[in-house]
Amino acid sequence: MTKYIIRRLLQAIPVIFLISIVCFVLMLMAPGGPQAQFNQNRFIKPEQVDLWLQHWCLVRNPSPPDMIKEYAGWLGVWNCQTQSFISENGGLNFLPSFLGGGVNGMLHGDWGISIYLNQPVLDIILGRLPVTLLLMVTAWIIWLTLALILGVVAAIRRYSFFDQAATLFSYTFYSLPTFWLGLMLIEIFAVTLHWFPSQLIQSPRISPGPFASAVWWQAFWTDPGLYGWDVAMHLVLPVTTLVAVSVAGDSRFVRSAMLESLNQDYVRTARAKGLSERRVIFRHAFRNALLPIITNGALEVAFLFSGAIVTETIFSLQGMGYLYIQGLQAHDYFLLMGIVFIGAILVVVFNLVADVLYAVADPRIRYD
Amino acid sequence: MFKPESADSLPIPASAATPSLIDGPELPVDVEVALESLNQWQLAVKRFMRHRMALIGLAMFCFIVLVAIIGPIVAPYNPIDIPGAIHQGGDGPSFTHPMGTDDAGRDVYTMVVNGAHISLAVGFFATVIAGIIGIIVGSISGAAGGVVDNLLMRLVDVTFAVPLLFLILVAAVFFGQGSMVALILIFGILQWGLIARLVRAQFLSLREADFVEAARAVGVGTMRITFRHILPNALGPVIVVMTLLMASNIVLEAFVSFLNFGIAATEPTWGNALSNAQNAMGDGNWWWAFFPGMAIALTVISINFVGDGLHDALDPRARL
Repeated sequence: MTKYIIRRLLQAIPVIFLISIVCFVLMLMAPGGPQAQFNQNRFIKPEQVDLWLQHWCLVRNPSPPDMIKEYAGWLGVWNCQTQSFISENGGLNFLPSFLGGGVNGMLHGDWGISIYLNQPVLDIILGRLPVTLLLMVTAWIIWLTLALILGVVAAIRRYSFFDQAATLFSYTFYSLPTFWLGLMLIEIFAVTLHWFPSQLIQSPRISPGPFASAVWWQAFWTDPGLYGWDVAMHLVLPVTTLVAVSVAGDSRFVRSAMLESLNQDYVRTARAKGLSERRVIFRHAFRNALLPIITNGALEVAFLFSGAIVTETIFSLQGMGYLYIQGLQAHDYFLLMGIVFIGAILVVVFNLVADVLYAVADPRIRYD
Repeated sequence: MFKPESADSLPIPASAATPSLIDGPELPVDVEVALESLNQWQLAVKRFMRHRMALIGLAMFCFIVLVAIIGPIVAPYNPIDIPGAIHQGGDGPSFTHPMGTDDAGRDVYTMVVNGAHISLAVGFFATVIAGIIGIIVGSISGAAGGVVDNLLMRLVDVTFAVPLLFLILVAAVFFGQGSMVALILIFGILQWGLIARLVRAQFLSLREADFVEAARAVGVGTMRITFRHILPNALGPVIVVMTLLMASNIVLEAFVSFLNFGIAATEPTWGNALSNAQNAMGDGNWWWAFFPGMAIALTVISINFVGDGLHDALDPRARL
């Protein structure tokens, strides 16, 4: 198993490498180039822009060889101060700095500076990540649980009233645009009924600081009930929005996986052996139906990020999706590249987790 | 995760396009005529006609298309006329304005009707572009195999690892500039991955099918086998996925416009209407956001129903 995980991690490296190229090409294609933000500001002199570009290993109007140099500099393989693969410390640039490597580039944790927020990109992203992860993981757990229950029950009682109702429900919600559903929930439960807050992750009135920062945790441990409840209340509407739309599609998927599994010969064999119906369904049918569900659940992680953009924008949650929209509006390219890259890495990691879970659920698969 | 065979585990069974000669209707007296007159596509049409929800969906969709075409001509108001609202933030639904007005007094019903053709056009053409690229790439990948296949599929892997909405938004901001054509191209160019994977999976399974084997044994050339024997049979699941893609593209267009990165704010689209309505939500005038959203939802529901019907109709294992 360990061997398998290591091998999969090694296989992920070329994919992550390709993703980093995609991110970089995105920035190169940007109208106005990486310095576009400065072009709008008449107080910034061209010489200052040149200095900035030089600092980040960038060139005005780059030729193709320049682009490769820029990319290598951004990655941390090329050192643009010494103009070679050798760093100031004398070693190869891509090595960690204590081994004589350089300090520039993503490999060394230098993801550039957000022009718009004037902070290192990695710090901003790590600061915003908890909100997104909290939202995503909560929604994911709730909707997978609901989808499993709904789908399995609908499959066992096929064509019953429950099944028909679940089908109608899922078709309706599956077709609703997420962002519109969010708006309508705000209209009903926040504006009209005043049950839940519609914006932000915590009330500004009692907020000790940004969510999941050191100050916040300190305050949280003094009174977990107050701060925990506050965040939970703020999560109700965004999580409901994500869950309602996603449960619809997934419960259909679970239902068809379960139906397919219930039609198999081994289920008939299990019944013929005289096993109890409960045992047949849960030990024989359900366990096999889980396999496609796990694969599907892992593929949905990419969708979760898209969902995070939608819900975070509607509910003003200061997570990665919201940050991305802000970065887009401000033409903040280092920030955009950083978010896309982190998002893609998380997708790759979750896919790996799904593969491992697959092995746990399916004893037929042996990984050595 | 990134193993090529994962394409085979897509929800649509790989064998879905294998034609079956047994599933015919009851043979009438004149056997030869019957065999000639009902081919696979005619059978599919028959199966589709028996799917009640699909027919309802098709009727709804035709109605929406009709509204998109003649709606703007018979709409009672001018979508860009600004008469001014009587109440602050817009007037509620009334006899003169069945869906209310926005804060500038523009009729929401006129807005919804005028937005239909833009949404439908973006959804349809973007899907067609994605479909064409996907079918070409998937066919090349499936037919060629080897290094070409491997390279193309790694490319698809990467497009799957990067959350699509991130790329679409960044492309819309960089190259969209409010134009519908640009948006269609962006959606199409970024979304062919799924279709390419599906077509390739179909090719891999059909390449081993008996009728392809038979064609090869008779001495049919590779080109003819690819275009006459494999491709038409691979199309069934692709059409189903393209239907669903069209539905999701309509929602996507609305969302991109909603964020003001899509079609120019001066155009009366569903997404733009929602975008403007968002600021007015706090005042309690729900109609402004409700009706454009319902229009999107109904369009998407109808397309999904049609897709469901197509899924059943194009599955040759289904009985007539």
